[in-house]
Amino acid sequence: MPREIITLQLGQCGNQIGMEFWKQLCAEHGINPEGILEDFATEGTDRKDVFFYQADDEHYIPRAVLLDLEPRVINTIMNSPYRNLYNPENVYLSKDGGGAGNNWASGYHQGERLYEEVFDIIDREADGSDSLEGFVLCHSIAGGTGSGMGSYILEKLNDRFPKKLIQTYSVFPNQEEISDVVVQPYNSILTLKRLTQNADCVVVLDNTALHRIAAERLHIETPTFTQINQLVSTVMSVGTTTLRYPGYMNNDLIGLIASLIPTPRLHFLMTGYTPLTTDAQVANVRKTTVLDVMRRLLQPKNMMVSTPVHRQANHCYISILNIIQGEVDPTQVHKSLQRIRERKLAQFIPWGPASIQVALSRKSPYIQTAHRVSGLMLANHTSISTLFMRTIQQFDKLRKREAFLEQFRKEDMFRDSLDEFESSREVLQQLVDEYQAATKPNYITWASGILEKKTISCDRLTQFYSVQVR
Amino acid sequence: MLQKNMTPYITTQVSAHNAKRKIAESTSTPTEFLNKYEELKSKNVRDLDPLVYLLSKLCDDDETKLYLRRNAEERAVAAGVSLTSPSTLVAQLPAPGSKITKDELEDIKARLMKETNRGTVGQSDASRRILMERQQRNVNFPVQPDWIFHRTYLTADFVNVPESHPTNVVQLGSLPVQVQEIAIIEDLLCCMEGIEGKYIRTQPLVDSYAPRHFQVDQTLEVTLKELVKRILPLCSNYSIVVRFIEEKSAFEYGLVNQALSSAMRTLIKDYLVLVAQLEHQFRQGQLSLQKFWFYIQPTARTMEILTSVANSINRGACIGGAVLSLLHEKTSSFIGDAEGQELCLYLTQAACVPYFEILEKWIYKGLIQDPYSEFLIEENESFQKEKLQEDYNDAYWELHYTICREQIPIFLERMADKILNTGKYLNVVRECGCDVKCPCAEEIVYSIKERQYYDQIEKAYNFASRLLLDLLMEEKELRARFRSIKHYFLLDQGDFVVQFMDMAEDELRKTMDHITPTRLETLLELALRTSTANVDPFKDDLRVELLSYDLVTQLFKILSIETKQEKEFRVDPTDLHLSGLEAFSFDYTVKWPLSLVLNRKALTRYQMLFRHLFYSKHVERQLCNVWLSNKSAKRYTLHSCRWYASAFALRQRMLNFVQNFLYYMMFEVIEPNWHLLEANLDSVNNIDDVLAYHTDFLNVCLNDCMLTNPELLKTVHKLLMVCVTFSNFMQRLVKTTEVEKEVPRPTQTSTLQAAPTARDRKADPGKKKATSKVVLEHVDQMAGSENFERTIAKFESNFSHLLVDLLDSIMDSVSNCENKRMTILHRLDFNGFYTEMLETASAERSMMEASALQQPPALH
Repeated sequence: MPREIITLQLGQCGNQIGMEFWKQLCAEHGINPEGILEDFATEGTDRKDVFFYQADDEHYIPRAVLLDLEPRVINTIMNSPYRNLYNPENVYLSKDGGGAGNNWASGYHQGERLYEEVFDIIDREADGSDSLEGFVLCHSIAGGTGSGMGSYILEKLNDRFPKKLIQTYSVFPNQEEISDVVVQPYNSILTLKRLTQNADCVVVLDNTALHRIAAERLHIETPTFTQINQLVSTVMSVGTTTLRYPGYMNNDLIGLIASLIPTPRLHFLMTGYTPLTTDAQVANVRKTTVLDVMRRLLQPKNMMVSTPVHRQANHCYISILNIIQGEVDPTQVHKSLQRIRERKLAQFIPWGPASIQVALSRKSPYIQTAHRVSGLMLANHTSISTLFMRTIQQFDKLRKREAFLEQFRKEDMFRDSLDEFESSREVLQQLVDEYQAATKPNYITWASGILEKKTISCDRLTQFYSVQVR
Repeated sequence: MLQKNMTPYITTQVSAHNAKRKIAESTSTPTEFLNKYEELKSKNVRDLDPLVYLLSKLCDDDETKLYLRRNAEERAVAAGVSLTSPSTLVAQLPAPGSKITKDELEDIKARLMKETNRGTVGQSDASRRILMERQQRNVNFPVQPDWIFHRTYLTADFVNVPESHPTNVVQLGSLPVQVQEIAIIEDLLCCMEGIEGKYIRTQPLVDSYAPRHFQVDQTLEVTLKELVKRILPLCSNYSIVVRFIEEKSAFEYGLVNQALSSAMRTLIKDYLVLVAQLEHQFRQGQLSLQKFWFYIQPTARTMEILTSVANSINRGACIGGAVLSLLHEKTSSFIGDAEGQELCLYLTQAACVPYFEILEKWIYKGLIQDPYSEFLIEENESFQKEKLQEDYNDAYWELHYTICREQIPIFLERMADKILNTGKYLNVVRECGCDVKCPCAEEIVYSIKERQYYDQIEKAYNFASRLLLDLLMEEKELRARFRSIKHYFLLDQGDFVVQFMDMAEDELRKTMDHITPTRLETLLELALRTSTANVDPFKDDLRVELLSYDLVTQLFKILSIETKQEKEFRVDPTDLHLSGLEAFSFDYTVKWPLSLVLNRKALTRYQMLFRHLFYSKHVERQLCNVWLSNKSAKRYTLHSCRWYASAFALRQRMLNFVQNFLYYMMFEVIEPNWHLLEANLDSVNNIDDVLAYHTDFLNVCLNDCMLTNPELLKTVHKLLMVCVTFSNFMQRLVKTTEVEKEVPRPTQTSTLQAAPTARDRKADPGKKKATSKVVLEHVDQMAGSENFERTIAKFESNFSHLLVDLLDSIMDSVSNCENKRMTILHRLDFNGFYTEMLETASAERSMMEASALQQPPALH
């Protein structure tokens, strides 16, 4: 009765990330592309059943659902050596195969139309697990399928499984290069509303930062998708390592997430990983001690989210979780924490206790790494709001010009009015405000301060909470 | 005070001697005291010197003397004995030590120690053991047949038959000197063989050990008489030695005495040969008294030594090891006198043979074959190995075999512990059904200079410790056991714990009397099979146990043993309101011989750690559940009621506390210490080291997890209780809202959503019942106020208060000892959130203290 986690892969980006993720997991657990356990891996003390289940013939099958509206990426997967790994019933391709045309509204409505079929698959997977812990959704927020259909599925998942966790790995678009998707800001803002309201934990993977890291840290001039996706899959696999290699703490997803997210809305996490290497590269980080890893993890350049530096004056960490792998002397952890505390290397919120939690985790015995110690940081940092502010700005620019709206008007949601845009923008603005407020000592009373000013009617909320208990 | 006096107990001869003199000076009967001292010394009583030293200190110390006097008076009154005037008592004080028997002396000492409450435990223990030993020497020996005592002529000694006085003895003085010489030589030859002569008569003995006195015919010529008087001690010695031999050959004196007697008997044979040779010369008329005197010179010396040995042994009523000590000392004291030393060495070697045989059997095979309880190790069969599972002590390992200090031959004293351990180890191996064959089993021979038996014992010890260690480590996989126990008791394998808690939580929430242990067993089994614990070969040894007291009570019970509050905690009937969570613990079946290491004492420690961790883990899960049920809040337009944020912030603080507390215990206490233990286990040489390291590990863990400090533990426990109450409150709140939410919109609920909530609703009353009574009242009271804000604020102030308390007391406790706990302070207050509060608290306290100082303490 493990705490199972079902992975949903949506759209081009989501499926690409997902594929790399499963490759990584298979390698770590000693499962070959056919889904059969390698001979050397039969005696492991790892938990494969969180992410895999065993078919009748002992094959390991990922608890994964692959969804797309166009066949290209899924076809690539189905032609790769890993084609026999997935349960073919869990691979869903829209019949018309036309894709969402990078249009959020199109994706959303196709999702609506395909609701029955998609949720048949999800329900079947959910029924097949003993004590489902939650879902992991991989997608990008800029395209059509991942953002639009993803948004729809998020909403529905939340309705159907209100007690289950929903974690997403959301890829944010690269803002340094001109995107071929012109409506990207529209898509982003609409998706972000759903991510704010319907996801429990969003791991932000900023393409801008990923490319920067590839260029600066790995010295790859023009990183390929695969190389970028390897970075992502590393983050995803290390982020779940405490679930798969049980130790003292953090053996369920909730325990991992709950401490990171104090208030439910502030659930956008940044990640950082060190030391980074790709297959081709020799180690370029020479000394790896716990302190070293932890110190590096606090450097912005290792962050997989790009946030402008100059505005960070009062931004601070809400919480940090470091997952350290490798040969670690537990006493070093304490020393490192002390050092960081003394040097004030990390700025924390003033309104509550916060600390760097360090989870020591085992490593897969089947993968050789060049480094003694490696670490992943999951951090809740208020500066992530700059990312949202940038999105809002871009949205505002586009919206002011009323550009590219006709595509959206074609769909039901926007036929009569464009209110959805405004409401999404407001939700996002509130989120930014809340992040800003979280940097101040009076954050706790901030909400009530707003209340007095704006006197927003909170009917639903009072309905939700103010029921009297005898 | 006593303590101080005890310290110089490394009793050098000098200090003992000084002490002796001091007592002798202060006592009114110095000679008596010295006699007693010598006697005790000859009896080879250990700890005599410390005792003497104590007495001498007592002489100086008026206060104690005063007390002692009162004590003695009381005793005297009780015994109906009138005591001498108090003024003489000071002088007389040490006298009891010298006059009255040793037992009484010990009695005084015991009282003294008990009253002054200072531990000279070791000493009084030792002496008490000696006493016990005396009584214990149960007479299980074969009885000597009666005829031995009836037949008076069966002895080689003089026989006293009064009526056999020869009547027709001519006065010697009436004979010529030559004839006198011949007659007296004949008589002497007789006397040397233990037969009375005509002119040399024996006198009846005072007691059986007394020297024999002779009476020589008064009319003997003076020169001859003088010579005879010089020779006669030889006869007397012969008499003593022969009596000694005959007596000590009896069963009850033990093998060592028997061996010694037999060695003496051979010497006596030589002696009789000499007598025969003398007689031969005498018959040929070549023996004059002068020659006689000349010939017996070397033999007289031998006899003298034999006699002194016999006397010493008689005086001390020595047996076994004590005899050997005595002989060893005699041998060493003859340094420079080659012949005497050789003789003593011969005796010692002979006497050592049976003792060393026992020793060999013990150190090579782990067996005791000691019918006359002479050996330095004694077995106490009342300590069964089966009890290791039940008793909260190390009794089996510590007391099953013990050293009997009195029986240690002095030359083995240094090795005594090693000897004890060697046999003990081998014995364990034997108990496991393995045959022991020591490859280095050579015969041990006594020698005075080359201490080769030291090497042999050392070798045997090394072999035995290696053997047992290998047995436990390799064959019985002690390390794997440790690891397995760590998985379960120290929550090292989290998935198993998560799984078990997922399944058993509902059951554990019930109160004690509603829980069916078999159900828990089943759930445990299931959790074991389906988690990674499945690969653990020892998983089937894990058991479920429901204790009738919670951790805090248990700890207080343990801590209060032998203190004043003991009674308070003893009358503590099973609390039926105890929830399963508080009562729950794992248990572990350990089989012999692993139960040596994983005995009840160790397991109880593991259990305490486990319960502490388990409960903290439970609280963490509760808070996570609150998180889960509150997560939907983000969907609604926020900026709502005030408690939205404050409740979440409080939950976060609680979670932060619990998680960091767990992190601290697991990663900073248990894990590093575990690494240390593993490293230490790599280098151990014997099982005692393993035991010590393991106990160390547990103690450090307990201490650093604050399980040994009742105040801290209480605060931590209260904190956890606040967390639980809070999460129960929140859970119930959400549950009720959910129920109400559903009622107005039944059409909207999809099938899937309805199903779990309906189940939840059903489960609700059951859960309500289960939450312990205190919690329920608390929640009712809180919720009844209808004011969440205030409730939350109350929770918050409660929590903050306790936490600051905790941090404060940790700071306090840290300031006076090294301590790891400081790290938890840093962890909990990583970003300095509580620093201000702490400062205020300490400022307040110092204010209070200052004001308390200013005001006169009227209350006191």
